[in-house]
Amino acid sequence: MGENKKYPFHETFLKKEWSYSTGAVLLAILALALVTVTGSAWGVTGAFVMWGGKFLQLVGINADTWKGFNGALAKYNFWKDQPAITDTGIVVGALISVLLAAQFKIKKIKSSKNVWAAILGGLCMGIGARLALGCNIGSFFSALPAFSLHGWLFWISIFSGAAVGSQLLKKYFM
Amino acid sequence: MSDSTASTIRRTSSKPKETPEQRARKRKKQLTAGTILVVLVILLGLFIQTQNPKGAFIWIIGIALGYTLQRSRFCFTAAMRDPVLTGGTDLTKAVIMAIALSSLGYMALQMKLTGLSLENLGSETLLDASKLPGNIRAAGVQTIIGGFIFGIGAVIAGGCASGTLMRMGEGFMQQWIAIIFFVAGSVIGAVLLPIFQASPILYQKAPIYLPQLLGGWVPAIIVQFGLLFAIYVLADWYGKKKSGEL
Amino acid sequence: MAEQTLDCLGEACPVPLVKTQKALEKMAVGDVLIVDIDHSCAMKNVPDWARSAGHNVEIEEVGEGEWNIIIEKTK
Repeated sequence: MGENKKYPFHETFLKKEWSYSTGAVLLAILALALVTVTGSAWGVTGAFVMWGGKFLQLVGINADTWKGFNGALAKYNFWKDQPAITDTGIVVGALISVLLAAQFKIKKIKSSKNVWAAILGGLCMGIGARLALGCNIGSFFSALPAFSLHGWLFWISIFSGAAVGSQLLKKYFM
Repeated sequence: MSDSTASTIRRTSSKPKETPEQRARKRKKQLTAGTILVVLVILLGLFIQTQNPKGAFIWIIGIALGYTLQRSRFCFTAAMRDPVLTGGTDLTKAVIMAIALSSLGYMALQMKLTGLSLENLGSETLLDASKLPGNIRAAGVQTIIGGFIFGIGAVIAGGCASGTLMRMGEGFMQQWIAIIFFVAGSVIGAVLLPIFQASPILYQKAPIYLPQLLGGWVPAIIVQFGLLFAIYVLADWYGKKKSGEL
Repeated sequence: MAEQTLDCLGEACPVPLVKTQKALEKMAVGDVLIVDIDHSCAMKNVPDWARSAGHNVEIEEVGEGEWNIIIEKTK
């Protein structure tokens, strides 16, 4: 604990965590900057569908003929896909944050519960986000502020789902 | 972080796991790796710019989003889950703040495009809402079902969409597994979606834009900010109640 | 003045906080709980909760991305 005081600059500017309010303000500003400059609001899961489709094509299944893709895979260009770029950026940005704070640590899987949680949780999020036409960003953070009713509906729905998820978490995954 | 260098809580002396020299070495390694990564990010940005006229900007925004999420320990999932699970509402309030600020921004953007100014509130002809900035999308049963399933998944997985990406960068192996199934689920969802869209009961395709729904910008602003404020007050009260009881 | 350690290394959000709340419930006033975590969310939400509940809290970074949260139950 004492050694941090040797490097006050590092401690203050690169290590010390920011308040939730700071995060809130910055996220709002960054997201607004994005939509102002590009015309497309911040989104996360739009890219996932394409990546999944591309993977299927790689293993010999031509998903492009499916109704859900409708030829979009043939036209897909990673570097022109805004969500693909921001998704990658978020992973790298978070990594930079922990490295510069000297707080990086690989958190290995502790038990099979963590694996099941990741599998079931991931599947639910993927399916849910498609049906709702977006995730907590695409159908909430970039929707509700834009005065879209589906943003409010989504918020109520994920809150309810989270309540159920909390019970499941306590019972099966803790 | 505690301000005093000496602990004020009496406890048996804890054996440190690493010597100060070991920690200093690891610290240096991480800072070096982080700096190299920053350089790579800049180089990659230059490359992306050659592929996409706005690429470098989008890339930097993505980096900044990831950095901000991690640095502030921001978590949309916790905002949703904590009131029920732990009684905490700090993140809930922070999310409401972010939503409110974003709403102000979108209000300005949308009003500018629809040719509105505050003087014209209530007497406008609004454009096709889906063409406005922001994700104004179909609202219906599909939103409720999808949102509900998403909420369950986010809490179980330990992170939502942005949270999963952020934790991948932090080194959580669980999220590296979660993302694979998130992508798989997205493909499944993409297959299910047309089926939903074919059913008028399960899917309602009209985007519903509050200023249009409520008959003007004034009612929309009142409702949007009014609700956000009310929910904020409720969250604040609830959080205080929960921690005061304990 | 009993001292208890709670190993939450590798646990996902919000497990460290839930376990901490449960453990503290069972402890006596004056007891000390040391929670071992490596989750960045937890190094914020566990101390935040413990402080709002009125306990004495200290955070110690014991490694890269690893913290000990020391909580003294005060009521």
